[in-house]
Amino acid sequence: MATFFGEVLSVYSRAVEEDDDDLDDENEDERIHREIEEKREVHIVWCPEVAQSLEDSGSNTLQCSDLIIAVGTNAAGFLSAYVLNTESWDAVGHVSLWNERSRGSSRQSIAPLPGEPACLFYRHRDNPAVLVCQSTCYIAEDQLFQWTEKVLGCLQKRGLSVMVLSDSPVAEYKTPDYLYGSAVPFLRSLKSSASKGQALCPALEQPNILTGLPAAVLSHCQVHQIPAVLYQCYTDVISPDSITMETYKPALLCLSKLVKLEPCLSADVLRKFAIITEAQSNLYT
Amino acid sequence: IYDRAITVFSPDGHLFQVEYAQEAVKKGSTAVGIRGKDIVVLGVEKKSVAKLQEERTVRKICALDDHVCMAFAGLTADARIVINRARVECQSHRLTVEDPVTVEYITRHIATLKQRYTQSNGRRPFGISALIVGFDCDGTPRLYQTDPSGTYHAWKANAIGRSAKTVREFLEKNYTEESIATDNEAIKLAIKALLEVVQSGGKNIELAVIRRNQSLKLLESKEIETLVTEIEKEKEEEAEKKKQKKST
Repeated sequence: MATFFGEVLSVYSRAVEEDDDDLDDENEDERIHREIEEKREVHIVWCPEVAQSLEDSGSNTLQCSDLIIAVGTNAAGFLSAYVLNTESWDAVGHVSLWNERSRGSSRQSIAPLPGEPACLFYRHRDNPAVLVCQSTCYIAEDQLFQWTEKVLGCLQKRGLSVMVLSDSPVAEYKTPDYLYGSAVPFLRSLKSSASKGQALCPALEQPNILTGLPAAVLSHCQVHQIPAVLYQCYTDVISPDSITMETYKPALLCLSKLVKLEPCLSADVLRKFAIITEAQSNLYT
Repeated sequence: IYDRAITVFSPDGHLFQVEYAQEAVKKGSTAVGIRGKDIVVLGVEKKSVAKLQEERTVRKICALDDHVCMAFAGLTADARIVINRARVECQSHRLTVEDPVTVEYITRHIATLKQRYTQSNGRRPFGISALIVGFDCDGTPRLYQTDPSGTYHAWKANAIGRSAKTVREFLEKNYTEESIATDNEAIKLAIKALLEVVQSGGKNIELAVIRRNQSLKLLESKEIETLVTEIEKEKEEEAEKKKQKKST
């Protein structure tokens, strides 16, 4: 092509070349999709005894009467402080997954370090039908279904009862009235239709909705007619905080029927699980 | 959308950004102001400082001029800006009209500044409330309170910050003519009010006073401890008297 100034430029032709590149591209796409899928797969790693029990049962399921799931740092902190603080709990497994916000360890068999965001399972020694799951890592939307199917698929549906404790920022709570400071944090509940019995706090009002792992678990329980109750705690604090953890106390009523709980709790134990960020933050005076 | 953007009205007449700024104020520690007869008192709950932090650079009580000072609750950085503007205005006023500012004048200046930020585009309101105390030239003691919306009012006693509601209720019950009869009594009232909400007593309280024709004075921690001990003794004596009354 000649330009106005007389120079000659070589121009690339926009004619499509009739090579058979397409097939390779497709294969490459497929390969990439498959790699991503594998990378994002959710794996449950059980301890040897539990893995053995799973094998021994014909259906690859565990007998479980009560599953308590804590989603979020405050819910997990509450369980750690009030329930898991006795010596009668064994760590029996963890979930290993990878997503952009939860870069799990590349080797599945390594259990997460304490304090790391993770999904951990605990079983009560005296009552092995009671399982606790603490989930503090982020589970991406495309992984929620897998997580729920794999975890709840390991448990026998008969006689199973599920309780979910979950944190949520109060900014997400939609209400026509103004929320005064003293009302926060507070609990709201949601149940599956198979769940009989009273919830210990008011039900979640419309138009509020649940999202994420609690929603996936509750939906699964609703579909498979498993009695499930969820307690959502709305709090205005971003980090683990002892007052927010104490808000879950009504759930202790149900939990004490299942396992022996520590009768009274020293403030020091709670403080251990709550991060005191006040001193370090100079934002407010 | 009415609350996420800059300060605009919502359909029901709320200025959500201003209301949220008032929430930011509640994240600051408590401050209380008391207007006595010959003294004005400001008491604040000391924030816990980090180990390596210089304590004296974390101040909630600041002098605006020799005869006016203020305590704030809320965003530290916003407070710094407001205080600096107020200090400049105090001196500018002295140079222009050759008189020190009245407490009401400087409060109005601060409140007008705050209000401007609720009505401009691209700016958010200041996230602080302030208690401004001092004496006017004619010797009248004054206490004013401002908030993020830019309103200001005169008070006999008030509190701002985290547990302001509790402290204000205490003051409503206990602020009487006799409770502020002397300077010492007024100071003790401020301490008593703070002790309602401050954990671990006197060592977490900072107190400042201005007496007529004197400049701002920050009380030493020893003085505060002495007063706290006095207050606790008085409380015990009260409780003893009540017990005795019951038994007779």
